[in-house]
Amino acid sequence: MTTELEPRTSAAIGGMGHSVKRKEDPRFIRGAGEYIEDVVLPGMLWMDIVRSPYAHATIKSIDASEALKVPGVLAVITGADLEKAGLHWMPTLAGDKQMVLPTTTVMYQAQEVAAVVATDRYAAADGVAAVYVDYEPLPVIVDPKKALEPGAFVLRPDRGPDKANNHIWHWESGDRAAADAALASAEVRVSEDIYIPRIHVASIETCGCVADWDAVRGQLTLHMTSQAPHAIRTVLALVSGLPEQNIRVKTHDIGGGFGGKVPVYPGYVLAVVASLTVGKPVKWIEDRSENLQADSFARDYHIHAEMSATKAGKITGLKVKTIADHGYSDAAADPSKFPAGLFNVITGSYDFPDAFVEVDGVYTNKPPGGVAYRCSFRVTEAVHAIERMVDILAHEIGVDPAQLRMENFIQPEQFPYRTPTGWEYDSGNYGVALQKAMDLIGYDDLRKEQAEKRARGELMGIGISSFTEIVGAGPSKDFDIIGIKMFDSCEIRVHPTGKVIARIGVQSQGQGHETTFAQIIAEELGFPVGDVKIEYGDTDTAPYGLGTYASRSTPVAGAATAMASRKIREKARQIAAHLLECSPDDLEWEPGKFTVKGSPDRFKTIQEISFAAYTNHPVGMEAGLEAVDYYDPPNLTFPFGSYICVVDIDKGTGQVKIRRFVAVDDCGNIINPMIVDGQIHGGLTMGFAPALLESITYDELGNNQAGTFMDYLLPTAVETPRWELDKTVTPSPHHPIGAKGVGESATVGAPPAIANAVVDALWHLGVRNIDIPMTPQKVWAILHEKGLA
Amino acid sequence: MEFSGAVDIPATRDRVFAFVTDPEEVGACGPGVESIEVIDATHFRAKAKVGVGFIQARFVVDLEIAEQQAPDMAVIKAHGQAPGSAVDAVGRMTLVDGPEPGTTTMQWSAEVSLSGMLASVGARMVEGTANKMIGQTFDCVRAKIAAEG
Repeated sequence: MTTELEPRTSAAIGGMGHSVKRKEDPRFIRGAGEYIEDVVLPGMLWMDIVRSPYAHATIKSIDASEALKVPGVLAVITGADLEKAGLHWMPTLAGDKQMVLPTTTVMYQAQEVAAVVATDRYAAADGVAAVYVDYEPLPVIVDPKKALEPGAFVLRPDRGPDKANNHIWHWESGDRAAADAALASAEVRVSEDIYIPRIHVASIETCGCVADWDAVRGQLTLHMTSQAPHAIRTVLALVSGLPEQNIRVKTHDIGGGFGGKVPVYPGYVLAVVASLTVGKPVKWIEDRSENLQADSFARDYHIHAEMSATKAGKITGLKVKTIADHGYSDAAADPSKFPAGLFNVITGSYDFPDAFVEVDGVYTNKPPGGVAYRCSFRVTEAVHAIERMVDILAHEIGVDPAQLRMENFIQPEQFPYRTPTGWEYDSGNYGVALQKAMDLIGYDDLRKEQAEKRARGELMGIGISSFTEIVGAGPSKDFDIIGIKMFDSCEIRVHPTGKVIARIGVQSQGQGHETTFAQIIAEELGFPVGDVKIEYGDTDTAPYGLGTYASRSTPVAGAATAMASRKIREKARQIAAHLLECSPDDLEWEPGKFTVKGSPDRFKTIQEISFAAYTNHPVGMEAGLEAVDYYDPPNLTFPFGSYICVVDIDKGTGQVKIRRFVAVDDCGNIINPMIVDGQIHGGLTMGFAPALLESITYDELGNNQAGTFMDYLLPTAVETPRWELDKTVTPSPHHPIGAKGVGESATVGAPPAIANAVVDALWHLGVRNIDIPMTPQKVWAILHEKGLA
Repeated sequence: MEFSGAVDIPATRDRVFAFVTDPEEVGACGPGVESIEVIDATHFRAKAKVGVGFIQARFVVDLEIAEQQAPDMAVIKAHGQAPGSAVDAVGRMTLVDGPEPGTTTMQWSAEVSLSGMLASVGARMVEGTANKMIGQTFDCVRAKIAAEG
């Protein structure tokens, strides 16, 4: 079904489908948000971090004597200090371990080496400059392929003699023999090497925390920038031995997360150790260069893909081999069973009879990580590869890329559809979305224009991306992070005057949870959205949840919110029946009131019922009106969309100009159309950026070459194209409100649309692939080689 | 990074060799050098302030004359550190007769490994800055020797 959802509630209630203005925005636009930097506690100290200039070196000695002479410096913490307490290593969310501070060897440039605690930030920085570390440089491995070569030195000897290599893990999915057979018997085979470069989430707010140890009460409060505060509390309890009820993790407003604020960074642990040591609150805030150089990166996948098809263009098989560069530690935040995330969604929107995908994780002298940057666990990499490959096949056999997609899409009647790599897609209608995008952009006319321009020697390209996302992790049978199942939660309390507070296990980093979750409750219970207050991010009060990433808030906690609301509605029905002196079965619900069937004058509003829950509840019933739900999703959700991009390339400069970009998204039922549009605008911009601007590269010594915003090029409004949006609505059949999640679709879908457009403009010159980012320099070099520039 | 070049100096080979292997004399020509400490005949420690773009760092550099054949050649190794940055370098110098009688041509090369904040944040400007500093150093060496007559 592809239908627009008409709001069921009035604008006064503001349930699903209403573009309710964001309740959080007044404080943001008035500068009244409270970010981590705004947290100032009495007696608070500052911590700053000494970082390694070398990507790989032995630490011969650390001399802190001069630093301790700096006025205001109180303490210098080194790896040797942590080792005494067994805290020099810590577990990562991926089941590997990473150093909090090194005792013998640094593994990447900008790694934490020591922490300086001082009375203010300037003294801490002066102290950092005065710590003298004597290093002996060691050889460096930057290239993961070299890390796998026989004879390469072993980066992580701590893993023991059985693992005397740089290979972390091997993961595979699908049927290798069947994929091999499909390729062997194919009429047409295409293959390509595709590199998805290392990029950074580059949130405007860097990471930071205030650790506050109260020795008298035995209470640790950690104010922090985290997308997953509950998981952090549990990890802290397990690592520190402090009782979990005496640990409170509190997030505040978060200035962008995008996956980068899921992991536990050494700085957080060091601030806790510092506060425990000095008995005062300790604040640590990264500067921009620390953030870009040391925080978890995203992507860095070296993909080799092979695809088979008939001469007529029917896709028959896919085989993908990938090397994943994880830096010196696998600190990705992937679910335990999925070290390469959900990369095996790589069969995309297409009906592949056979597919096989394998990924090998590798250590290098780079920062650890592998976070899902605004994508659900390696889906961006998968979508880029499959959408590039489909385009290469189309061009290779001379079939229009739109037509090839249409002929190979999974058809609406095939849902629920089981992919050859094991996923069960819940719902989809891919052809309708692509046709809508084609109609909107005037696809046929553009192809005519392109032919005319090409005849005149002008370079114009049209690129399509018909992606399928996989979000909402996830069902407890398959999904956990460090053993904690990936359910999520909501607790709703209705006050006597008919006002509501609800607390959720997920965390907003700007998505607008305070509005959309209130709208779900408005939809389910009929309370006006303005009467519903949403809270999150305080582990003392909010129910346990795994946090916000991988577009899981609406699919999981959103479902919990609907289910908790329905529990309340059932109790409200009992109370209404008591008040109206009828059987509960005789009542009809419409948002905001129960009415006796056939007697429209006899009704009780949800507000009247709320009051009665505390003043006149039935004998034998508990007073109050509240409910909690921990929702374990039966399946993931599979948003999708079709994007079309038109580019013009300047032959003189290699500059790629996006002339038009049409995005048709389908995220199931929509809670707030305005917020969804905003999510898509932001996501498209974050997809455009790595396609044309952003990447983190390293020199041969392992120096990060993008350590500031002068070198790591974020788009501003000046560079960003104008986005043209439309949608289809295909509800998720298993989700309580039919929603699928949208935060990441556009980031996932946009890069291949742009890349396909650029290659489309250049294919006739013999260009098959260009790795992103397609910078003017890179494109100009190709044009120059072809004699055009 | 590798750098190399040749520079003519209006003085004899002996004089040039003596100048460039005397840390007090040549040290004063290093841009940003604030102090030179002579540890022994072949080991020195220099403190120097270096700026690349908007980043400034105060380096402590340990220098060693690793090889020398007066008055023909010398090899100098350097290991320097500043907060968050480090530099490791090997410089080679060969002196031959210059184009005019009584002059000397210094053929030099250097391999420089820059690590850390300066390499990361200043990456786009490092090579240009290094070239400028090398030029300033040789201008100074030539001028000082010439001034001595």
